[in-house]
Amino acid sequence: MTQSVTANDWYSVAPLSIVAVAALVVLLADLLAPKSVNRYVAIGLGAAGLIVAGIDAAYAFHSNYAAFGGAFIVGGFSVVFQEIVLAGALGSLILYGAMGDGKRIGGTVALLLWSTSGAMLMAGAGNLMTIFLGLELLSLGLYCLCGLSDRPTAREAALKYLILSSMASGFLVYGMALLFGASGSVALADLTNPMLVSSPLYWCGSGLFFVGIAFKLSLVPFHAWAPDVYEGAPMPVTAYMSVVTKAATIAVLARFIYAAVPSTIAAQLLLPIWVIAAISMIVGNVGMLAQHDLKRLIAYSGIAQVGYILTALAGGTPLGMRYAIYYLAAYTFMNLGAFEVAALLSDEREEGSRLANYRGLGARRPVAAALMTFFLLAMAGLPPTAGFLGKILILTTSVSAGYAWLGVVLIVGTAISLYAYAKVIRAMYARDEHGHAHDARPAVPLAWISAVACCVIVIAMTFYPLTPSNILPLVR
Amino acid sequence: MVFALILLPVVVGLAMLVVRVENAQASKGVGALVALATFVMAVAARGDEQSVRWLSRPFESSFHFGATSISFWIVLLLAVCTFCAILATNVPRTRQFVAQLLVLEGAMMGVFLARDLLVFALFWDLMLLPVFFVLLGWGAHAPTAWRYFIYNFAGGLTLLLATAAFGALYGSTDVIGRTGVHVVGAWAPWIFWGFAFAFLVKTPVWPLHTWMPLTYADTPGPMVSVVSAVQSKAGLYGFIVICMAFLPDYLKEYAPILIVLGAISLLYGAFASLTQTDVKRVVAYSSLSHLGLIVIAIASFNPLALQGALVYIVAHGLFSAMLFLVLGFVESREETRTLTRLGGIGAANPKLAGALCIAALAALGLPGLAGFVGEIIILIGVFQAGLVWPAILALVAIVLASAYMLRLYQGIMNGPEVADLPVRSDLSWMEGIAVAPLALALVVLGVDPHAVMAFDTSAYNATTSQGVTR
Repeated sequence: MTQSVTANDWYSVAPLSIVAVAALVVLLADLLAPKSVNRYVAIGLGAAGLIVAGIDAAYAFHSNYAAFGGAFIVGGFSVVFQEIVLAGALGSLILYGAMGDGKRIGGTVALLLWSTSGAMLMAGAGNLMTIFLGLELLSLGLYCLCGLSDRPTAREAALKYLILSSMASGFLVYGMALLFGASGSVALADLTNPMLVSSPLYWCGSGLFFVGIAFKLSLVPFHAWAPDVYEGAPMPVTAYMSVVTKAATIAVLARFIYAAVPSTIAAQLLLPIWVIAAISMIVGNVGMLAQHDLKRLIAYSGIAQVGYILTALAGGTPLGMRYAIYYLAAYTFMNLGAFEVAALLSDEREEGSRLANYRGLGARRPVAAALMTFFLLAMAGLPPTAGFLGKILILTTSVSAGYAWLGVVLIVGTAISLYAYAKVIRAMYARDEHGHAHDARPAVPLAWISAVACCVIVIAMTFYPLTPSNILPLVR
Repeated sequence: MVFALILLPVVVGLAMLVVRVENAQASKGVGALVALATFVMAVAARGDEQSVRWLSRPFESSFHFGATSISFWIVLLLAVCTFCAILATNVPRTRQFVAQLLVLEGAMMGVFLARDLLVFALFWDLMLLPVFFVLLGWGAHAPTAWRYFIYNFAGGLTLLLATAAFGALYGSTDVIGRTGVHVVGAWAPWIFWGFAFAFLVKTPVWPLHTWMPLTYADTPGPMVSVVSAVQSKAGLYGFIVICMAFLPDYLKEYAPILIVLGAISLLYGAFASLTQTDVKRVVAYSSLSHLGLIVIAIASFNPLALQGALVYIVAHGLFSAMLFLVLGFVESREETRTLTRLGGIGAANPKLAGALCIAALAALGLPGLAGFVGEIIILIGVFQAGLVWPAILALVAIVLASAYMLRLYQGIMNGPEVADLPVRSDLSWMEGIAVAPLALALVVLGVDPHAVMAFDTSAYNATTSQGVTR
């Protein structure tokens, strides 16, 4: 299928080009701007690039166009995931602004933006090559970002992430090669051919592909790297990994599940994924119980939350996809909100992620404690938050799609998770004031504003539960 | 109007949590005014219904509230109890405590006014939070807060799962108060038990009651009066408006299990109450016993027993609220709750003794007070339904009620004065105002229960008579 590249093809990748170009602008401005305002210039330009890209991407919501011969598919699906990715990137950028220590961060912002453009590419990837391209672009930036901190743990985290993530990429690319061998095409659309069912290459390829994806999503049993890397990485990067990486990878997996599996064998082929999702919901939530660091807590919580999102996808109904996206968006803002509050408690010496520092927070900083409580309860799925509504929507689809057992596991997992979240809440409101009054800088307006904004969004999503309707078809 | 009933207390409560003006009297004043306003609105809102569409997929759901039928009376009870509790508040950090009481009131208004299952489940989870925070902030033992939260949240989750399944099956959750909505099929028993587990935990019923005595003993008097009077009724209310209305066949099928559990609670609660030394635990176990009776009444499928259950729900709310408030007064005066340490307070504090006396007499079922009316109607109804043994066991429990209530009263008020107890003043006028409405309501309802009885079961008569004839 030879096809000339048209102007429309270039328009369809405009949002991610804007982000990539914004990174160059940031680097340039970083050289020119005086040292005193340099930080704000870098973050401001980066944020502006993300916002412009978000506006540009939104225009394509109602289109359905396969650019570059099907390599990149623009439509409601890709737009929604791109917006979630951009929101996550913006939140991480704000975290950099809220907790930095006055050094030049132009390079950091540029890496973050390039990573983001990779994630946006994954959101629209229509063939195996684009998926891999996007994933590597995303990961390469993250390897550096993980290590860009003075703390020794950051370097350890970077190395760990590099090695394990490369291994996952290896699985992924090997699986892709086998899929290509089976189907003779890299396009996802060609994988739906029912003739493939008899090919052992196809089964092995899909299996390896899923293993790679499960690594990236840190699903059990491929989750062990996540808590360590999350803990070691600088907080903005942790936030970024917990939101953007997951959103982009879920986009790939969802597109694969919905559009690249022959319908005759979908139930058998995908069963391992649902089993992994169920195990992740339990292990992730149990793992949270023993944690003493917010970042580790969120790593385990993220393992479970991805399990919830996969529960919505089980059965492959269009409504399930919408609720998965709804929950992913809710998860994005709950997580970002929790990190923004943690940023409020950070200072030059230490990031505000050690749970010991949260003891007695309710008395010292009532509003920060209330916000943190809100985000934790949202993750646990208590009303009136989007976490509550998201869970009930997922439960309903899982019941009506015939995967009620996943719904039951979700309920059990939620019950366990509540204990872990409530432990943090209890520490914040416990009366004993033994916790050393490790207090942070008095005011970081940006972090305050974004934490409150996340809170408002999470509440608003409950009462105006918009779920994107224009997300299918995914593949042409 | 019904929206305002929920929003006013919640908004004022949250505002009080944020605005840090530390003045105990002002906090109580604002709280009492809001509670009073809520009460007036609740009276005016009788029969009012309002609805705003929330979801249209995967099932229809609306923020639909209505102060009709049984809801109206429980809402009135809630408004009165909250008002009394706020006036009776006498704890450190008054502002936060009153704020939590108001949030609790708003959340429970949502539970009892909701005409939509999903909204019901939403407020069900929400009403746990204020109690959890109060237990964390004011309770003596942190594990109590956990136990309360984990038990009840587990119930909330099965409620949520059942609601989701209900919505998936029926296509709408905007059903509470509607007639003719019957869910049948392979899923229905699971849905029933999803609901029933949540309700049995909340009521509570043996063997799911273990969170309850601890919670009631640890929560400060004013809050526990509201929790025991109104929050514990959420389960019974759920049985009546959800299980009986939408799943009558399954309620009928599993009624023997509920009757057995109710009877065990009835006797176990009564005997346990006899041996407790903590005065609040005496009342906690007596609650277990009394609510067991209501469970039997609901499971007996008799219209008369159901009416009695409604009267007794309100009556139990009134006297348990009053008991806990008065025991709170005793505790704040004597700084102990241990029955063996207390004694002889009545001589110096006649008004306090009188208040406890009225509440205890109502609890043991003295004719002329509301408790008696509920008990006797339930007993007649249960007997009519052919459940002779449960009725006899209930009689035993009622006799035991006299024993433990008199033991409680005499242990605190009568007998020789204990030398090392501090001698404190009698009821202040504020405390008097706090218990007076409850005492008045107990007498009025005891003499003329028709207001509550005359009404009510109409919506459920259809299902109950159907159940009987089947």
